[in-house]
Amino acid sequence: MAESPAGAGDFRHVAFLYRSDAEYAATVAGFLRGGLAADEPVFAAVPPGKGCLIADALGAAARRVEFADMTTMGSNPGRIIPRVLDFTGRHAGRRVRYVGEPIWASRGPAELREATRHEALINLAFAGADAEILCPYDTGSLTPAVLADARRTHPLLLSDSGPGTSAEYAVPFRLPSSCSVPLPAPPYTAMSYTYRTDLSQVRALVQKHAREAGLPDPRVSDLVLAVSEVAANTLRHTPSSGTLTIWHDRDEIVCEVHDEGVITDPLAGRRRPAPGALGGHGLWLVHQVCDLVELRSDNTGTTIRMHMLIRPRQPAD
Amino acid sequence: MDLLRTSVAAIESDSEPYTLVELAGEADVTNSDALREVLDTEVAKQPRMVIIDLSGLRFMDSSALHVILRANRALDRQGGVLALASPREPVAKMLRLTAADQLIPVYASVSEATAG
Repeated sequence: MAESPAGAGDFRHVAFLYRSDAEYAATVAGFLRGGLAADEPVFAAVPPGKGCLIADALGAAARRVEFADMTTMGSNPGRIIPRVLDFTGRHAGRRVRYVGEPIWASRGPAELREATRHEALINLAFAGADAEILCPYDTGSLTPAVLADARRTHPLLLSDSGPGTSAEYAVPFRLPSSCSVPLPAPPYTAMSYTYRTDLSQVRALVQKHAREAGLPDPRVSDLVLAVSEVAANTLRHTPSSGTLTIWHDRDEIVCEVHDEGVITDPLAGRRRPAPGALGGHGLWLVHQVCDLVELRSDNTGTTIRMHMLIRPRQPAD
Repeated sequence: MDLLRTSVAAIESDSEPYTLVELAGEADVTNSDALREVLDTEVAKQPRMVIIDLSGLRFMDSSALHVILRANRALDRQGGVLALASPREPVAKMLRLTAADQLIPVYASVSEATAG
């Protein structure tokens, strides 16, 4: 295979652009078998149907692979990196292999933006790690724009023209524009509220709107916690007020918090805080309780958009 | 009325005396300094055991959690024990998601906490 990019140590992050189930099963099973043969811990997080293809191809060896349903584990793509870090952490000191398929055709636009951002952030989170990550992309069902982003977020490619490096991969690190340009504007029906220290009022507003939108009570509490954590950062880190904007449709309720704070760490909220740590829990909690989180930050301020599903998403194949 | 109300009592129980701190309302970044003062004062008295009754707490954010984690560290260093009692579900979930419940024992009631 092609060499890893300079400075990335032994870390390999490969987009596998596949055209058929047979090609998928053979290549992914081969990748995992290679890991097992080298006595490397192997982990595969893929949609359930794909997991069956892999398990069938592996036969008895499938028992030695850790499997996860990516439609659950990665429903919010912001939770994937900490799960994979848990896996590498459990096997510290050993080279590992991971198959992660976080992108499927029925993902909505906001989910696709976040899943693409997740793929880009993999390069930061695992830079220099002793690991190989294979990310399958279904060329038959994904759009050309999504596949073009796969070439931007992966230094290495495996396609029908064989293994190679991606000419589109950005060095130094840069997020693809699809997941870093400003978010689409909220609908004109959205409600806005400017807060400074009245976090209790912020929470009451979120609770009222979420209940009216039909979000079940335990999820209302989740959303209240998430918004409160983000609004608390306005108080902690900025001298000015913040704006809460809320809207909903049939499927989801969205709360957006904007303030003048700047978040410089692209991985904020994607690392599990150490036990007893006296910081780093805010954005971690936001990602753990929300169905989707979008973050945009530059030197003029930060926007964090928290999505909660009122009804379940359409499942992947 | 204050967003967060605290009350402290020294309890002389049959088994072992303990300090009971009751929290009610909402604990967040706007009142975490006040909560820290309350807990610092009690920890300075070098109690064997402090139980924080969370049953009246409708909401707790990570600032309040950090104050509690700090108190736990301080108590632990001086050989004391901190326990949390009767969190409502949103607070209990937050303690689980942050794994704080792995560091500080969480009990369904104050009496269970005293039984250890």
